[in-house]
Amino acid sequence: MIGRRWRPELGLAVVVLVLGVLVVVGTLEVSAAASQLGIGPRFFPMLVGGAMVLIGLFYVADVLRGGHGDPEESEDVDAAAPTDWRSLALVSGIFLAFAALLDLLGWIVGASLLFFGLSVALGAEHRLRAAVIAVVMGVATYLLFVNGLGVNLPNGVFAL
Amino acid sequence: MTSFQLLLDGFAAALTPVNLLYALIGVTLGTLVGVLPGIGPAMTVALLLPITFTVPPASAFIMFAGIYYGGMYGGSTTSILLNTPGESSSMITALEGNKMARRGRAAQALATAAIGSFVAGTIATALLVVAAPAVVSFAIAFGPEDYFALAVLAFTAVSSVLSRSVVRGLASLGLGLVIGLIGIDQQTGQARLTLGIPQLLDGIDVVIVAVGLFALGEALYVASRLRHAPPEVVPVGRAWMGRSDWRRSWLPWLRGTALGFPFGALPGGGAEIPTFLSYAAEKRLARGVAREEYGKGAIEGVAGPEAANNASAAGTLVPLLTLGLPTSATAAILLAAFQQYGLQPGPQLFDHNPALVWGMIASLFIGNAMLLVLNLPMAPLWARVLRVPRPYLYAGIVLFAALGVYALNGTVVDLFVLYVLGLLGFAMRRFGLPVAPAVIGMILGPMAEIQLRRALAIGAGDVSVLVRSPIAAVLLALSALALLTPLFRKLLARRGLAPAPRGED
Repeated sequence: MIGRRWRPELGLAVVVLVLGVLVVVGTLEVSAAASQLGIGPRFFPMLVGGAMVLIGLFYVADVLRGGHGDPEESEDVDAAAPTDWRSLALVSGIFLAFAALLDLLGWIVGASLLFFGLSVALGAEHRLRAAVIAVVMGVATYLLFVNGLGVNLPNGVFAL
Repeated sequence: MTSFQLLLDGFAAALTPVNLLYALIGVTLGTLVGVLPGIGPAMTVALLLPITFTVPPASAFIMFAGIYYGGMYGGSTTSILLNTPGESSSMITALEGNKMARRGRAAQALATAAIGSFVAGTIATALLVVAAPAVVSFAIAFGPEDYFALAVLAFTAVSSVLSRSVVRGLASLGLGLVIGLIGIDQQTGQARLTLGIPQLLDGIDVVIVAVGLFALGEALYVASRLRHAPPEVVPVGRAWMGRSDWRRSWLPWLRGTALGFPFGALPGGGAEIPTFLSYAAEKRLARGVAREEYGKGAIEGVAGPEAANNASAAGTLVPLLTLGLPTSATAAILLAAFQQYGLQPGPQLFDHNPALVWGMIASLFIGNAMLLVLNLPMAPLWARVLRVPRPYLYAGIVLFAALGVYALNGTVVDLFVLYVLGLLGFAMRRFGLPVAPAVIGMILGPMAEIQLRRALAIGAGDVSVLVRSPIAAVLLALSALALLTPLFRKLLARRGLAPAPRGED
């Protein structure tokens, strides 16, 4: 029964509902010294949390009754294609690895690897060309933003 | 001083060589990023926001004005030359524009879009000069309950009008409001919803939310269902148009401007409804050749909607500058840019910072003229930008997203927050939740709370204070009506009228 009714969008609807509950519960933990008139730090979050619970219930009901949102259309998106979970996981993994290793590798190495990994994951055919562009991007952004605009980016272990 | 004198002072400030250079950088970057497929005006502004932090406020806003208008120009080029649906505000342009391009009239389509955008942008910016002081003198008497009601109207209007399903629009709004709650409460210093993570005490930066929902969200979404066929870009030379094209374009430009400006200024109006209305109006008014060509690439169907699109961009600035009220996702990010400099748009901004406001408005005129010069001869270059292989394009978008977010605070924690928001952006796209309400909720939510608490403090806890002022009562009634739009839409559909198009930016 549940299996037949399960649709991925239900997941998002439940997230909205649960988030509403979490906001209400989380707000209860805020000590309310200044809330004699109901206008302390808890009032507005309670309002938002309560509204979210209500919206979440309506959303879940809508999905269960067969309502669905249309996937957004965009220039490079094939809206009719099934979700390519492998690409999605690859892109996610590469980005998270980049975030975890950035301070160690430094911007130039980290960003070059990020660009190379993502372009190959998204289907770049010439590996060598992708690698060259990646290094150019890493070095160019570093020079432009650190030396040109005074932004702080990590040097990492391969400091220049 | 009259606003005309103030505007002249603004021109004096904007016309210095350094500020002209910033304006030029702004329009060039805005167009370049706006042309890139998959990047709408809101994402353009969000991605380029961190760059402006390195320059002084007056110059930053001049640059920003250029980016804002440049992003609008760039989007129309994409929709004319690329045979795929793009962001909603320029989707209407694509209907006739792409067909014109495929019949070998790409140069004329681009020319009428660029010149129409210039005409509409100039007229609408002039209307902004006239309207802004009037709204300011009206809004100076607004109390906190009026501002709260305005925010509520913006919330409900953007959630219901811009989305096909009200519950999805509201869900998006709620997500934004919750993100806006995270951090220390400004008035009492209490930590809220921080999950005990110290980095969340300052709240989540607007740049991270915008870049996450727009840039990373889009990249993940594209990764999940990339169109593998190479993009079909219509080749084009220098943009130009002949005498008959001018004759057929000028009236649609003016009509488009008249539709676009007021809709842009209304909460929930945005660019989608006026561009659609302009398209429909031109279709109905078409006679002779135009009537035969409509549906196969009529220049009127490009001229009108493009003018409406740009006029609405200027209209959006009226409530943004005078009331601090964003009516579109792009405007919400502009508001965030003001807040980054500790400035709060509203009547006081015109009082305390006239040089900055009028310098920005003057640079809208200047940027618009620059864009015309930039766009007509450079069309072939933009067409080449459209051919960038998609793997490199999206790898680059993610790279710049990470760069902008890391540069904010220099901590990798922000990159993980960015990823979570990117996933949220992906899910919202995948399931058709509009992104605009979330961005507006996140940015306007904290301000709505402050006004609500002020109003209730004045009323000593009596809730009826919220409707005591007639303005607030009317605005709240309109908000309630906005939530009932699906009913109206059903009634209209039953009468055989087409429903309004769905929107995003």
